Amino acid sequence: MDTTGAGALIKALEDVGCEVIFGMPGGAILPAYDPLYDSKIRHVLVRHEQGAGHAAQGYAQATGRVGVCMATSGPGATNLVTPLADAYMDSVPIVAITGQVARSMIGTDAFQEADIRSITLPITKHSFQVHDPADIPRVIAEAFTLASTGRPGPVLVDLPKDVLATATTYTPPKLATPSRPVLSPVQVRNAAQLIGSSKRPVFYVGGGVIRSGAAQELRRLAEKTGIPVVTTLMARGAFPDSHPLHLGMPGMHGTVPAVAALQRADLLIALGTRFDDRVTGLLPEFAPHAAVIHADIDPAEISKNRKADVGIVGDCRDVMAALSAVITRKTDLTDWWNYLGGLRTTYPLGYDWPADGMLAPQYVIERISKLTGPEAIYTAGVGQHQMWAAQYVKYERPGSFINSGGAGTMGFAVPAAMGAQAGAPDRTVWAIDGDGCFQMTNQELATCAAEGIPIKVAIINNGNLGMVRQWQTLFYEGRYSNTRLGTHERHPDFVKLADALGCVGLRCASQSEVDGTILEAMAVRDRPVVVDFVVGQDAQVWPMVAAGTGNDEIMAARGIRPLFDEEE
Amino acid sequence: MTRHSLSLLLRNEPGALARIVVLFSSRGVDVESLSLAPAEQGDLSRLDVVVDLQAGRTVVQLIKQLGRIVDVKNVVDRTHDEVLELGA
Repeated sequence: MDTTGAGALIKALEDVGCEVIFGMPGGAILPAYDPLYDSKIRHVLVRHEQGAGHAAQGYAQATGRVGVCMATSGPGATNLVTPLADAYMDSVPIVAITGQVARSMIGTDAFQEADIRSITLPITKHSFQVHDPADIPRVIAEAFTLASTGRPGPVLVDLPKDVLATATTYTPPKLATPSRPVLSPVQVRNAAQLIGSSKRPVFYVGGGVIRSGAAQELRRLAEKTGIPVVTTLMARGAFPDSHPLHLGMPGMHGTVPAVAALQRADLLIALGTRFDDRVTGLLPEFAPHAAVIHADIDPAEISKNRKADVGIVGDCRDVMAALSAVITRKTDLTDWWNYLGGLRTTYPLGYDWPADGMLAPQYVIERISKLTGPEAIYTAGVGQHQMWAAQYVKYERPGSFINSGGAGTMGFAVPAAMGAQAGAPDRTVWAIDGDGCFQMTNQELATCAAEGIPIKVAIINNGNLGMVRQWQTLFYEGRYSNTRLGTHERHPDFVKLADALGCVGLRCASQSEVDGTILEAMAVRDRPVVVDFVVGQDAQVWPMVAAGTGNDEIMAARGIRPLFDEEE
Repeated sequence: MTRHSLSLLLRNEPGALARIVVLFSSRGVDVESLSLAPAEQGDLSRLDVVVDLQAGRTVVQLIKQLGRIVDVKNVVDRTHDEVLELGA
């Protein structure tokens, strides 16, 4: 008996390579915070547990390692529910450690008791409740392995207070060597044959390519075959935006050439992607002429939404290496590229300046990208600013765009940026946020200020819940029910708020000041910076495929339907 | 709706049954009958369940989703065995 359950927990976390925990103490988890006081693990004391969870996600995506968050029982644990759901949807490897009431109290409606293991059943890969302190090191090792292998995702470890307090002997955990699925050579050959005989193929690339660290393999395979590439919201950065084979993002707010490539393709080579409804639009009308090769590490994704002609269960890196090895020649794609190239020239991404003379939000994001460059990390919340961040920031490397894709969690940007900056202290981290999103989680700026985590926040302040307002404009006859936030009337005043939170607060409302303000924010290195970019409220995200319609209905801008026009 | 009979081997761990039942409810799977008993081998339980699937959902997909649960060791589709068993 050389330690306690709590001591074993912290030692095990050290032994599996955890370097930072985002968390907040409370009654049930308190024993764990005592040995943590002496540990080499950094603890970032958040202001709300949701911030801890999203920070762990940001850390995991910026570093490729497992992110760790910690909370006490009851409300502490339930505040982690949204980040766990988010990490589950976007396959982010995080381990959440929660305190629990003592074993004898479980099931008695004790103070701060919540059955967090049951609550999180459908949104975790797995969860543990440990009843013997001797099991803690093994469970921590298993949790890390589960979170980071196969399809990554969140794992919960629930620790009753008395288990943490009980004496035990520490047994160093053994990390299992991860095994990767062995590819079916037959399916690889079938895929290669389909690729060789297709006339209009496209690589439909999802977040799995980033999770598997397969960006190099993708580039090699794309260049070898000359096949166009589209990258989904979760895959932005998996393939360089500057690359001539890249057509951009597909989906509801994708580029016209990327959407057209999927719709007109005779072959989709889907890699680490899950045919999400935001990409496919109305499923029966999605890519109607295409055969489908679908490679994913999760067998349950293959043929879930769209039947695959060739399904390959495997790590994207292995799949692409195997395909590269068997594909010997380039097929002639001249006609295909002529078509796509024409669309690229005719329908580039673009925007109009607001009629009321206010700042164009797209311009702000474009300039942040230009002045900061592709080595930075960008995070986003959810809504219009997120789509503009996906469209107008130019990504060149995997892991440089971190956002809430599947769950669509407003308030993701600030805590995710905090986690990303903690994991990558040498990179500039910009949180591109909305005025609605920002008000959900900005308390973590106090954490950033206190902990010396100098993130930069660009609030794209259009005074409204912008994306909802856009839908009200387009589908509810401009009846703006409950979307006006009053943020243009300074409720709150973001500059004063930033100042109060220990950050530098800046404001910019005109085009001529944009570059200067961004550079001023870039020059601050010792504190977080918040810039209130006051932009027009009527800017809209285009192109757009309206929800529930087919991708052929894509509108490049209001009233302009390129794929429809082409067939007239 | 299509009806399927599945037989699962689970680790006898707390929460294992809950995970399976929650998967059914969150994926819109209708449970017709369900029985759990100790399996002959090791520390495992055997779960026999008859489910109804919504139109457009396949049993292959459900089996793969069940297979993702850490505590599930094996899933067999016994839809076509059942007739034989009843006849025996």
